[in-house]
This record gives sequence, C-alpha cells and structure tokens, in this order.
Amino acid sequence: MVEVALTIPPDVVFIAFATVTLLAAILALQAKELIYGAIALGASFAGIAGMFILLDAPYLAMLQIAIYVGAVVVLILFTIMLVRREEGEEVTEQRERGEGAAGLWIAGLLAVAIAGVAALAGPNLPSTPPGNALPVSQLGPALVTQYPVPLLILAFLLSAALLGAMMLAKVER
Amino acid sequence: MVNIPTSPADLLPFIISIVTSHTFITIIIFPGMIHLTLVSAFLTWYERKLLARIQLRIGPLYAGGPGGILQPIADGVKLIFKEVILPYKADRTLFTWIPLVLIYLGTLPFAVIPFGQHWVIANLDVGLVFIFATTSVFPSMIIIFAWASNSKYPFIGGLRSLFQQVAYEIPMWISALSVVILAGSLNLVDIVNKQAKIWFIVPAFLSFIVFFICIMAELERLPFDLPEAEPELVAGWFTEASGAIFMAIFLALYLKLYMMSALVTDLFLGGWWGPPFLPQPVWTVLKALVVATAIIIPRGIYPRIRVDMLIRIGWTRLLVIALANVFITVVLVNSGLLARWGL
Amino acid sequence: MALNPWLAISIFALVILLFTIPLLSLPYLIVFPRRKENPFRDMPFESGQVPQGDARHRLAMQYYPFVLMFVVFDVVGMFLFAWGISFSQIPLDSSLVVLIFLVLLGAPLAYALRLALRRENW
Repeated sequence: MVEVALTIPPDVVFIAFATVTLLAAILALQAKELIYGAIALGASFAGIAGMFILLDAPYLAMLQIAIYVGAVVVLILFTIMLVRREEGEEVTEQRERGEGAAGLWIAGLLAVAIAGVAALAGPNLPSTPPGNALPVSQLGPALVTQYPVPLLILAFLLSAALLGAMMLAKVER
Repeated sequence: MVNIPTSPADLLPFIISIVTSHTFITIIIFPGMIHLTLVSAFLTWYERKLLARIQLRIGPLYAGGPGGILQPIADGVKLIFKEVILPYKADRTLFTWIPLVLIYLGTLPFAVIPFGQHWVIANLDVGLVFIFATTSVFPSMIIIFAWASNSKYPFIGGLRSLFQQVAYEIPMWISALSVVILAGSLNLVDIVNKQAKIWFIVPAFLSFIVFFICIMAELERLPFDLPEAEPELVAGWFTEASGAIFMAIFLALYLKLYMMSALVTDLFLGGWWGPPFLPQPVWTVLKALVVATAIIIPRGIYPRIRVDMLIRIGWTRLLVIALANVFITVVLVNSGLLARWGL
Repeated sequence: MALNPWLAISIFALVILLFTIPLLSLPYLIVFPRRKENPFRDMPFESGQVPQGDARHRLAMQYYPFVLMFVVFDVVGMFLFAWGISFSQIPLDSSLVVLIFLVLLGAPLAYALRLALRRENW
C-alpha cells in the first residue's frame, strides 16, 4: 500500500478557473446571439468566484455569485429580451481586414511588457499567496469598526445608482 | 491521506475503506444521491395523494404497491420514453442543457445542509450564503429556458416567474438575517447546535412566517402560482418541455421543495434536536416532511394571488416585517433575555 | 477523514453529473433517432390557434424597477450578513453604524417604491 495525499495542486485549479473565465469572456464578446453572450458572461463571473475561493475568500465568492450571476445577469437578460429584434433578422458584422493580426500584435506587446516588469521586479515578487486570510467572523467587525465611513458612503452610492437608473428608464409624461 | 493499493491482495481492503468512509456514505447514500432520489420521488406521490384527499378524491392508486406508492416509477418510465418535441426555431442546446443546470441548482445546496451532527457532506463556514447564492441563480435559468422555447406562453410565464422570485428573495434573506444574528454564524451545523435549548422559531417568530411565505413564492406554489397558472398559461415557463426534459424540470422542482423544507427545519425548527428515542437524521427528515406538508396543503385550499398584488406584498409588507424582526432580534439579543438558553 | 469542504462539494458535483448525464442523454439515444418529419408537431403551443404576433413587451416593462431594486438590495443583504455574524461580539455602538446605514437607505427606498408602484411611469 502506498500513501497518497488526496489534494489537487492549487496551480492546476487556478489554471482551470482562469481558462474558464477568459474563454467565457471572449465568448461573451463574440457570440452572435446576445443571450449566449449573457450566459457566457455569467460563466465568467462564476470563474472569478472560483478564484476568490482559491484565495481563501469564500464569503466574497458567494457574494460574487449571488450578486453578479444572480442579479446582474438577470438584469442583462431582462433588458435583452425586452429590446428584441424582429425574429429572423441577423446581425451581420463586417470583418475588417487585419483585425486578427492587430489583436496578435497587441497581445504580444502586452506579454513582453508583463515579462519585462516581472524580470525587473525579480527578487521582490511574492512566491506564495498572502497567508493572512480573514475568516468570515472577523469580516463583520472589521467592516463596522474600521470602515464605518465607507459603509455610509456606500449607502449614498447605492441609493444614487438606484434612483439614477430609475430616472433614466422612466417615461416622461 | 489515502492508501492506494499496489497489489491485488490490497484491493478489497481499499474498496472497503472507501465504501465505509464518511465522504462516500454522505455523498452517495445519506444525505446524498440515493436519499435525495427516493425522497423527491416520494414527494411527487405524497403531493398528489395529499391534494387528492383534500379535494375528496383518492389519488394515485393503481400503479402498484400499497396506495399506489410505485406511481413515481411509472411516471419516470413513461416520461423517459415520451417524445421530446423541440418547438419550431427553438434553441436546441439550451433547451436540453438548462434542465441539467436546474437539477444541479436543486441538488448542490444539499452539500451543506446538515441532517445530523455529522451527517453533512461539506461543513462549510459560509454554508447559508452558499445556499442563497445557488438559489439566486434559479431565476436566470428559468428565463433563459423560457426564451429558448421560442413561444409566447413560456415567455410570459418566465417573466412572471422571474419577477416573483426576485421580489421574494430579499425578504427571505432578511428573515434569515435574524437567525444569523441569533446564532452568530453562517455555518448551518453551528446554527442547529445553537438551537439545542430553544428552537429559533420562538424568538424569531415573525421571521419564520416571512421566510415560510417567501419559500412558497420561490417554489411557485399556490397561492403564488401565477407563473404556472393552468387555466391561463398552460404550464408557464416549461410549457414546451416534454419527455425527459420535463422529467428533469419536474425533479428539479421537487428537489427544491425538499431543500427549502430542510432549510426551514435547520434554521427555525431545531434541525435534528428531539427526544432521543429516534436517531438524529430521522428527526430532521420527519420535520422536513412536516414542513413540506405545510407547503403542499395551501395548494388545495387558497385561490391565486394576482401578479401585481404579489409583487406589492413582497416589496412593501414582507420586507418591512422582516426588517422589523431584525430590530426585535437585535433588541432581544442585546438585552440578555435569551441568556438562559445560551443565545 | 475531514475533507476540505470545497473538495467535498466538488466531488458531490461530480457525482451529480454522473447520475444525471445518463438521464438527459436518453432522449438523444432513444427518441431522436426514431422521429419522423412533421412540421405541425413542432409549432409552438397556442391551444389550437395558429401562432402569430410578438410577445407583449410593454406589459412586462412595469416590473423593471423591481429588478433594479433587487440588485441594490442584494448588495445590501450581503453586507448585512457580514455584520450579523459578529453582532453579539462587538459593542452596541459599533452596530449603530449599521442602523444609520439602513436608515440612510430607507428614504431612497421609499421614494423608489413610490416611483415603481405607479404604473404610468413605465
């Protein structure tokens, strides 16, 4: 009998979640049907929630799923369905020449820039994720005792967003 | 740490150690897949029998077994072989895969709902929010399926279902907030352990009422039946589903019923605490079935609520009552009146 | 063995997949190969009439503000859960901040509800 530890290396999980997130985001931009785009957006939000779990922030991951996949995607879908085109109408995109090549150039430049910064930072880069995970039971006291003013500003921000959106959508008689 | 066998003689002890491990038993047998399949199949028969007795009928009788209890098996076999009709220009991929996602959303919360002190698949520290996060994905799946059906009845029913579920989720969360304040934790095992001396339905009675009404709206049960209004919309958002797809949606709805009943039991009715002549998991299942009965019975009694009244009730009355109960709970916990029960 | 709860949830998710994939591939295996072409079967169900016209958008628009309010109160609910866990451990005047938070949100909520419930605005 051989003893084997039943764990999955976190790097593998990270690559899986990152791939899902990126592919879903690309699909959300490129999809022909808007509904597919909205679903792909929901999938990329779920991928980000997975990365929160990897970073030892499970409460934030659940917050992400409940708010983004549960409310924002619903709002996007609702808007898409109410602003439907006539059935049978196709959205034809004019593919510009050189679009793919431009994309590859930009990706290459970005990769060189990141590699350069990483090489310059060199010995100062952290090799392990930060170890001071904040358990959920300390999140509440921290929020209330250390950050009361941002909490109250958040109240104003949320009300402004809500009333602003309603004012924009209202029909003026 | 697991011991991987390296020779054929080690294979049998390895298999035995896997089969008797806590993970295997909780995932496969109880409260895992076998128990869930049996109970949700039982609930389909139970609902039809109960409604029949309320309406002075007999209900399913001829499928076999005492009182027709093998009816769900007959239903399942029939639905598997029924023809799956894809409506004209409907979206085939979404139409077949969304029911799978719905079953997932109905089953996944069971991973964190405890049925006994150790009968839980995953003892998650943020268990309660996990359940709320998964139930908040339901409305988007419903409206995608309704859109994918490419037909008017499902579309209208899907939108109504969306507004209803969205309107009743916030009072549900706020009334669960009262429980969280009383228990001081989001871990469902901790919440039930705190109810050893007193069930939370006593200090948080208003929250219990609000929560109960909200889950009846989340499950689209009468008197919140408008998305499925039979004389009006045939079957609401799943009108075009037939065959195995309908079976998947049907199963998902009954799993959600059992899940909400088990959640009410764990949050308000003391979970597995009861006189010790029955083992703990049996108490949880019994209490969950009592809650499920209380959810099913109004279907045979009350008329349907109109959709704009429904949304008004959710956003004005229920939200205010839930918030009032949060304040009451804050006052109760702070004044130390609940100290003799350890809260 | 006490597994990491997320690992247990992943294993459970995998097991659910193994149980339900056979269920949902049954139509593809049994039913689809046996179908015959029939355009009347696939028409959307409208209780016997021939379907025509589009879905009613304007009627659904009156519930749009409620979806907006849901998004905002989703966020508020999550913050309240974070506070509620530790309520019995922190002194009462720290919790006063949350009370002020709720009161500050109360007036805009009341106004938003007033706007939302009047149907002619949408």
